[in-house]
Amino acid sequence: MKVLIVEDEPKTADYLERGLREQGYVVDVARDGLDGKHMALEYEYDVIVLDVMLPGTDGFSVLHALREQRQTPVIMLTARDRVDDRVRGLREGADDYLVKPFSFLELVARLQALTRRSRGQEAMQLRIADLQIDLLARKAWRNGQRLDLTAKEFALLAALARRKGEILSKTTIAELVWDVNFDSDTNVVEVAVKRLRSKLDDPFKPTLLHTVRGMGYVLEVRDEQGEDT
Amino acid sequence: MKLSISKRLAAMFAVASFVMLAVLSIAMHGLLKRELERHQSNELHARWTMYKPIVVRNDDVEHWQYVRQKFDNSISENNRVSLWVQGGDPHFVYGSPLTDEQRHSMGANGFGQVRLPGHEAPLKTYSAEVEAHGERPAVLLTVGIDSTPFVETLQAFTVGLIALTVVGALGAAGLGYYIAGVGLRPVERLSREAQALSPGYLSRRLQTDTLAPELSELADSFNGALSRLETAYQQLEAFNADVAHELRTPLGNLIGQTQVTLSRERSLTELKEALHSNLEDLERLRAIVNDMLFLARADRGERAPNRVEVSIAQEVAHAVEYLEFIFEEAGVKVRIEGDAQASIETSLFRRAVTNLLQNAVQHAPRGAEIVVFVLQQPGAIRVSVQNTGPGIAREHLSRLFDRFYRVDSSRSGSRENHGLGLAIVRAVATMHGGTVFAESESGATTIGFTVAA
Repeated sequence: MKVLIVEDEPKTADYLERGLREQGYVVDVARDGLDGKHMALEYEYDVIVLDVMLPGTDGFSVLHALREQRQTPVIMLTARDRVDDRVRGLREGADDYLVKPFSFLELVARLQALTRRSRGQEAMQLRIADLQIDLLARKAWRNGQRLDLTAKEFALLAALARRKGEILSKTTIAELVWDVNFDSDTNVVEVAVKRLRSKLDDPFKPTLLHTVRGMGYVLEVRDEQGEDT
Repeated sequence: MKLSISKRLAAMFAVASFVMLAVLSIAMHGLLKRELERHQSNELHARWTMYKPIVVRNDDVEHWQYVRQKFDNSISENNRVSLWVQGGDPHFVYGSPLTDEQRHSMGANGFGQVRLPGHEAPLKTYSAEVEAHGERPAVLLTVGIDSTPFVETLQAFTVGLIALTVVGALGAAGLGYYIAGVGLRPVERLSREAQALSPGYLSRRLQTDTLAPELSELADSFNGALSRLETAYQQLEAFNADVAHELRTPLGNLIGQTQVTLSRERSLTELKEALHSNLEDLERLRAIVNDMLFLARADRGERAPNRVEVSIAQEVAHAVEYLEFIFEEAGVKVRIEGDAQASIETSLFRRAVTNLLQNAVQHAPRGAEIVVFVLQQPGAIRVSVQNTGPGIAREHLSRLFDRFYRVDSSRSGSRENHGLGLAIVRAVATMHGGTVFAESESGATTIGFTVAA
C-alpha cells in the first residue's frame, strides 16, 4: 500500500509517516500544497492523506486538481470543525475527512476502510488459537466449548476477530458494533469488553482480548503475559 | 450625507413655518385684495351717485355747458377721477374720446375697467344709464377711478408678506436649531457616558433618572443590552476559566509524569506505562477540545445540516440499545413512551439522547426505571428523560446545561464525565431549532430537549 501524506506541520507529518510506515504502508510526504499537488498527480498512490490548511496552495485546490485527472481515494484533515469545510471537501470529491485533533488509530481505520474496498470475499470462519468463530451462524467456541454470547457481545468479538492483531479504538468499536459515530461520555465499550472477557477469556487460557491503555483493544495471541490488565 | 438631528429639525421647522406663513400670506393677500376692490367699488358707486344729479338737472344744450364745467372742475380737483357721458346726441356728451375696445371693456352697465394712456394701472369704472329728460336723451354716465394706489398698496403688501415669510422661515430654522440643540443635550450626555463604557467597567450603566421619558426608554433598553452583555461576558470569562481548569489537570499530569519518567533511566515497561498514561490524558484533552469545537459550532448559530425525516422513538431506541450494557450494570430499566416524526440529524440527535440517558443512569438508584417520553407538541417535538432518584435542587436546574457545570462538585475529577454532556444536549437542541428544560419534583427528575417539528 502506498500512501501520500500532504501535511505542512512537521511534527504531524513525521509521526504520520513513521506510524503508517510501521503499519506496513509505503509513505511519501509532501510538505506544502504545490509539492503535494505535483506528487499526487505524478505518482501512483493507493490513498492520499490531505491537510486542508497548507502553505502554497490549500488542500481544496490540491483535491480539485487531483480530481480532474485521478480518482485516488483522499482523506482530508480539517483543523477547523466547520461544516462548510467538511461539506466542501466531500463535495469536491474527498472520500473521507478527519477533524484535528484526531487519533492515529482512527486514521488507520479510515485508511483501511478506503483501501479495503477491493478486498475479496471475507472468510466466514475465523480462528484464533482455540477460538473459533462462525460469522454466518453468529456462533463462537473456545476449546470446543460454545460461548454463550449476546448479539452485541458477538458483534464485538467479530469486529475484533476480523481485525485480528489490530488495535481498535473505542470510537471505532462503537462505530462497528453500535453504528455510533459520535464521541460520548459513556464507557459502554469498556463494559462490553469486560462482559465479553468474562465469557471469552476468564474460563480459558491463553488470554486473547487485550487492553492497550489509552488506545483501545486488540484480539491476538501474545507470548508474554501480564502486560495488560 | 447624513444631517445632524439639530440641522434636520431646523430644516423641518423652516419648511413648516414657511408653509404656514405662505398659506397665511396668500390668505391675507386675497383678503386685502377683496377689501380694496370693495372699497374701490363703493367709491365708484358713491361718485356716480354724486355726479348723476348734475347730469339729471341739466337737461338742455345750454345748461350742458354747466355739466362740462362741473366735470372739468371735478377732474382737475382730483386727477384720479375720469368721467364720460355717452349718448346718441353729440350735444350731450362728455369725456375723452374712447375707442370701441375701451368702450367694450367698460361695459354698458355696472363695473368695468379701461386702460388709458398715461395711467399705469387700468381705471376701474362704473357705468349706468341716466334716463332721458327734457331735451336730453338717455345717456350713459361712466365714472372711472385710477386704481394705481390700490395696486401699489397691494404690491407693497405682497412684498412685505414674502419678506415676512422668508424671514420667518429662517428665524424658525435658527430657533429650531437652537431648541434642538437644547433638547438633544441629554443625548450628548448619554453619548459621552456610553463612550466611557468598556469591558473594564462592565457594571457601569447609563444614568436614566434625569432623562426625558423618550430617552430614558432608549437608555433603559441600552442598559438592558449592557446587562445581557455583562452576563454573557461573565459567562464567557467563567467559561474560559473552566476550560483552563479542565485542561490544566490533564496537562499537569502530562508534564509532571513525563518529567518524572525522564528524570532517570527507566525500563522499557516503565516507559511504556508512562506513554500509555500520557495517552489517556491526551485522549481526554482531545475529547474536551472536540466537544468544545462542537459547542462552538452551535454557538455560531449553525443548524443541523443533514436532516432526515425519522421516527423519534426509533432513534431513542437506538441510543437505548447503545447504552444497554450500562443500564444492565446499573440495574435500571428503560422504557420509551410515545412517538413522533421529525426531521433531525440522526447522529446529533442520538448523541443528545445518549447524553441524557447517561446522565439519568448516573443518578438513578438501582432497580429504578428511566422513562423516555416522546411528545408531539404544536411546532415542536419534546423528548424528555425521567428518572427517579434524589432530586436536583432548584438552583442547579437552570444551570444544568451550562458547560462544565456539575451539581455535585466532587464529581469534577471523574474520568468519564468531563461536564459537557448536557451542554452538548443544549447545542443539539439549538441546532434543531429547539430548547432544553429540566424539572425536578417529588423524587422524579425530568431533563429533556425539544426539536422544531
